[in-house]
Amino acid sequence: MKNTNLLNSLRLAILGALTITATAAQAESIAITNATVYTVAKKGILSQATVLMDDGKITAVYSSDEVPESLNAETIIDAKGRILTPGFIASKNLLGLVEVGAVSATRDASDKKADLTFDASLAFNPKSTLVAYARKGGITNNLVMPYGGENTFTGQSFAVNLSGELGESVVAKQNAVIVSLGASRKGSRAVALQTLGNELADAKKALTKAEKAKAKKTKDSKEAKQPSRAQQEMYALLAGDKPLLAYADRATDILALLALKQEYSLDLVLVGASDAVLVSDEIAKAGVVVMTSGIDNLPSSFDSLHNSLNNIAKLTQAGVKVIMSNSGESHNINQLRFDAGVAVANGLDKNAALASITANVADTFKLNTGRIAVGKNADLVLWSNDPFEISTKVDAMWIGGQAMSLKSRQDALRERYTTQSNMPRAYTK
Amino acid sequence: MLKKTFTINKSTLTLLSASMLSIGLTACLPTEKQDAKVVINKNPYPSTYQVLPAQTTLLTNATILTGTGQRLNNADILLANGKVIEVGNDLAAKDANVIDVQGKWITPGIIDVHSHLGVYPNPQVESHSDGNEMTSPNTSEVWSEHSVWPQDPAFQAARAGGITSLQILPGSANLFGGRSVTLRNVPSETMQGMKFDGAPYGLKMACGENPKRVYGSRKVLPSTRMGNVAGYRSAWLAATEYKRAWDKYDSDYSAGKNPQAPKRDLELDTLMGVLEGEILIHNHCYKAEEMAVMVDLSKEFNYHAGTFHHAIEAYKIADLLAENGNCAAMWPDWWGFKMEAYDMVEENVAIVDAVKNSCAVVHSDSSTTIQRLNQEAAKVMYRANENGFALKEEDAIKWITANAAKSLGINDEVGSLEAGKKADVVIWNMNPFSVYAKAEQVFIDGAKVYDSSDAKYQAKSDFLLGQNLDNHTDTANSK
Repeated sequence: MKNTNLLNSLRLAILGALTITATAAQAESIAITNATVYTVAKKGILSQATVLMDDGKITAVYSSDEVPESLNAETIIDAKGRILTPGFIASKNLLGLVEVGAVSATRDASDKKADLTFDASLAFNPKSTLVAYARKGGITNNLVMPYGGENTFTGQSFAVNLSGELGESVVAKQNAVIVSLGASRKGSRAVALQTLGNELADAKKALTKAEKAKAKKTKDSKEAKQPSRAQQEMYALLAGDKPLLAYADRATDILALLALKQEYSLDLVLVGASDAVLVSDEIAKAGVVVMTSGIDNLPSSFDSLHNSLNNIAKLTQAGVKVIMSNSGESHNINQLRFDAGVAVANGLDKNAALASITANVADTFKLNTGRIAVGKNADLVLWSNDPFEISTKVDAMWIGGQAMSLKSRQDALRERYTTQSNMPRAYTK
Repeated sequence: MLKKTFTINKSTLTLLSASMLSIGLTACLPTEKQDAKVVINKNPYPSTYQVLPAQTTLLTNATILTGTGQRLNNADILLANGKVIEVGNDLAAKDANVIDVQGKWITPGIIDVHSHLGVYPNPQVESHSDGNEMTSPNTSEVWSEHSVWPQDPAFQAARAGGITSLQILPGSANLFGGRSVTLRNVPSETMQGMKFDGAPYGLKMACGENPKRVYGSRKVLPSTRMGNVAGYRSAWLAATEYKRAWDKYDSDYSAGKNPQAPKRDLELDTLMGVLEGEILIHNHCYKAEEMAVMVDLSKEFNYHAGTFHHAIEAYKIADLLAENGNCAAMWPDWWGFKMEAYDMVEENVAIVDAVKNSCAVVHSDSSTTIQRLNQEAAKVMYRANENGFALKEEDAIKWITANAAKSLGINDEVGSLEAGKKADVVIWNMNPFSVYAKAEQVFIDGAKVYDSSDAKYQAKSDFLLGQNLDNHTDTANSK
């Protein structure tokens, strides 16, 4: 390889950088100074700002004229004007539930027996090679959405951080109920909608009955019958304690869901929602969040004839809060930032694009991340330049205040095959 | 001497050309009465593509990536009669439509060597799923062009991304999946209206997991990788015999004999086309060890192993590929969907490209990423440059233009902006390696086929026409 010398010298430079990072990782407190900070919070965009983190949390955000003379931090990193954003939050993927798509024994995202209560977080593997690779795209947190079983209710989502640490990665288990509606190859789409409506009606009836019984029971000493696990989940939906993540594309399905939201005060999130642009005013009025891809623009089905690269821009302009989710794959979720760039090239406001992969996700799923503000988890990314640009890379990342490695298995393979040796490659480690 | 009367055997499918006749009959003295010579028609579904209305066009003051490794700043390009006339500075032309494109970038039309548009179209309904004849491990007899639905809306989306030529391949469930076809990305009611006139056919072969999974599960060979290779070898043995029979027929006929023509076999016709060097191999093959076996296989049967597609592990054998003259068509970063796609590195294309005499290609195999092949190339360039490479835009553009054209055997006509080449040109609103870049205008053979700011040049598929019509009218009860 003609690049070997250059590669070696670069590798040394990278090693040097890693050493510094490693020191930072052990530090209790870190200050990032002279950064262009996209807070995605009240403070907006700050130039020459300083962010302090301590004990895993953001403890101060200083604009250029607020920076104190001496910083109380063990490690100080000069950002030299580079952009600091909240770590991105990917969604609608199977990260940690699949290692190799076609190797069924590495897939834990679905099961015939899975139902409304399906808790796939029990299967999450923080050591999956997909996790380290995803970090290279600036992703610090993720909402995993398993496929579940054959039921209308396919299970529940869960939130993880991308620390890769055993025992520390799952941030929130069973944090939203997933339901799958829309076109059916086997029968009528009406059945799934009816099932959802009936389940909600039955749950509401049961809940009212239980409450009445409970009121009575204060006088009575009889033990109340405990609701089933599935029933408890339905009650959580009715109480607005958990979002309902509803896959639906066609406008008729979206309107039917909005009606159910209205009737049962659901915390509804529309997923996919290709036709959302046809009913954007209704969605905005109902305050419903739309989770959708930034790059799906083909009429892949009769439910998605209105897919377009400018859909997110249109929805945002109509006042709909949007979460930009990954488009399909779990292995390439690091590309979320490029999807955001494409959406911006097609009319989406840049700040709205950033919010759609940070604060909007955090707000919807009540995650203490996604913003650079005091008290939030110190999940931060320092970028070499514009985060959405292909030419830009992640220069540094912190999750819960810990500096993260940006090396993946792919890097190890590249290094092996670009290092000259007179021995078989297997000896280059 | 020449026989005045002869009869054409009408039961054959062949057309007899006058030139072949005269050669056949004058080569030597006939010793017996000869039947009409049976000749295989190699182009029975010929292109009917017509260049769209065009005028002489001079684009000025652009940053031009020529596809030959050059970058010209503030340069002009003149397009006339469907061809690139000149690329350079301060060009002038009489009666040309002059467009000042200052600040914009110009590249050759983008070429995707791996697409299933039209054969796996959108909407993805069963009725249109025509991309893979998964009924036998060897379906060399099928031709993807017979499945192309020209109304696939993805053709328009790809054109908006600068795609001017693309190869439509059959799927990868079979050892031999059938013939590919190269299309011009122009709207047409027929496949023939899109067909790239003179482009060689390709033959899709597939290594690895797909064939062994599909047929192994039916208890049919192959169920293993060694079964795959046995399947290829058996087929090439048969093709070698078939070719020998035809060669003998031709030479006997030339010698004035009246031989019996071999029985036509569509499957073997295609394989023979490869042995004759007229049909190019396009081999779905991810893994280093399998590509190495496929190279030896091609030597065993005396054909060229062609282009390896989805060559995830090409970086492990970059030297071997260059030495043997193989192109490798690669994604920048798709991986992990199966075991043979597990060893992805983002610099794969750059590592392959760095070897002398290499042919690195970035392909899509996707109706989504075909719309941004420029960004797919950009990802490789920037990730590689972060890791010791020093690639520039003028290098990276070759992966989706000149090298792609070479892979398809059309590099004499397209793939670069040089005098005499077809005027396939994309004007980008900025550096095409930016995430924010968009194709503003696209020309095929000098004719404008897309303009992002002029609806007149934005084609729409029949399928999407008339969807979501307004239910109301302003003129109620008008007569």
